[in-house]
Amino acid sequence: MKKFKNFEDVVCPFCGTLCDDLKIILEDNKIIEVDNACAIGTAKFFSSNVSEHRYTKPMMRNNDKLEKVTWDEALNKAAELLANAKRPLSYGWSSTECDAQRKAVELMEICGGVLDNTASVCHGPSLLAIQDVGCPTSTLGEYKNRADLVLFWGSNPVHAHPRHMSRYSDFIRGYFRVDGHLDRTIIVVDPRTTHTAQMADMHIRLNPGEDYELFNAIRAMCRGVELDVKEVAGVPIKQIKELVEILKSCKFGVLFFGLGLTMSKGKHRNVDAGISLIRELNEHTKFNLTPMRGHYNVSGANIVFTWTTGYPYSIDFSRDYPRYNPGEFSAVDILKRNDFDVTLIVASDPASNFPKDAVINMLKKPLISVEPHKTPTSEMADIILPPAIAGIECEGTAYRMDKVPIRLRKVKNAPEDCMADYEIIEKLIEKVKELKGE
Amino acid sequence: MKFFLTTGRTIDQGVALEGQKLGRENIKACAICEFDKDDFAKLDCMIGTPVKVTTKFGEVVVYSQISEQGPHPGIIFIPMGPWANAVINSETYGTGMPSYKGTEAEVEVVKSGRILTALEIIKSYK
Repeated sequence: MKKFKNFEDVVCPFCGTLCDDLKIILEDNKIIEVDNACAIGTAKFFSSNVSEHRYTKPMMRNNDKLEKVTWDEALNKAAELLANAKRPLSYGWSSTECDAQRKAVELMEICGGVLDNTASVCHGPSLLAIQDVGCPTSTLGEYKNRADLVLFWGSNPVHAHPRHMSRYSDFIRGYFRVDGHLDRTIIVVDPRTTHTAQMADMHIRLNPGEDYELFNAIRAMCRGVELDVKEVAGVPIKQIKELVEILKSCKFGVLFFGLGLTMSKGKHRNVDAGISLIRELNEHTKFNLTPMRGHYNVSGANIVFTWTTGYPYSIDFSRDYPRYNPGEFSAVDILKRNDFDVTLIVASDPASNFPKDAVINMLKKPLISVEPHKTPTSEMADIILPPAIAGIECEGTAYRMDKVPIRLRKVKNAPEDCMADYEIIEKLIEKVKELKGE
Repeated sequence: MKFFLTTGRTIDQGVALEGQKLGRENIKACAICEFDKDDFAKLDCMIGTPVKVTTKFGEVVVYSQISEQGPHPGIIFIPMGPWANAVINSETYGTGMPSYKGTEAEVEVVKSGRILTALEIIKSYK
């Protein structure tokens, strides 16, 4: 007889919004229904079912072909590569839970390697800016209940965080925002008329790569300076004036910013300017900001790395103590300089997500991939260690984009003998220690 | 024609990356170049005709599309993935972050070009 199981209030391990109201229905050990999740979250839960896209056994490359091997064989070979490496690079870590991230620090410390998470190609520049000028922030619940002005800058939540607007920032009713959408003003600043911009009350279409100029023009106008130009960053002065009035007269404003700032010319300087604007707006009203974090636990990766090493990403252990220098120890730069001899990729697909010249170098050296699904990275790897998917097949803790920790749930068993990420890393640590005689 | 290339997430790209990275879904979602409606008219081709996007850093052939998220004259958009990453500027300027948005690109209609799969692109790097 078929066994059905229902789970309520399941947390979605996809994006930084960490929706915690999903309903999952299982038939035996197969997910057959996902309710309340967005299209991406639903796809993620269904992707955990065993299929041709999922690895269920460790694999190793033999004569250019991937072959199934035992866990011991795969772990021994991976440990050997890491123990003998002079400068291993470990990258990824944002789509897994905090225990695995803690183990990552231990492993790279023992190996004297470089540890980086996906923040370095995501909100890394935001972290640099926050270290420079601070960050007046709050939890998403406060925004939901209080914010009457929501400013999305270089961020397209309809596509990247599909339920953010319905749970926290636009349509949801809040304690002081009883009419939900009608009680909030939504402003989008983006060079494209994105789907988010199409729903907004005001869209500022600026020239691409000129965010820094626009932030500073708004700052100047907030202070009452009259600018002697017709437009800044392609935006007419009249529209900027209108925007400044709206910003200054709201009761509680929030800036959600995305990769439009961190990936464009200026990078962390754009975020610097944005934070400085928020600081100044606090002289007129209450204004906060929150970066729209992508991976569900990239915030957690930054937090765990910070409380264990002092630094959020791009950490080098080659001198036995942690050093931090994005631009030098960040994964893309290490790969471009060929400054590594083995890569350990966990819960990430840099072959797809890194620029061409970084990928070319990554493929020249041994590559270990801890990854449940077939990806371009895992298919090019020398060793594949298939884990249980955190938040679906094992428990753990993840930090939401506003740094609120949420406990992930286990709803089904992992296929065959797939272990959790932290168990795999724990075993690697044991074996590396043994090989190094520690 | 000259354009300003930007890359980023789309919901289709997000769905395709969950366990379908080597499949057709990923090509449909990410091996595309979205044009502003008026810019596309100047290309004088049918929707879906392959176009070659060339920058200082590489070239890639992808399917052409009219952007639903327009207008954005002068800007082309390729969703994040191996196709976009074949042509973006990898320079991080000391921040660790490559310049995924804001690369100058030249576009030409190629009509009969074959669109490589994600794995074919990555294999060509080895």
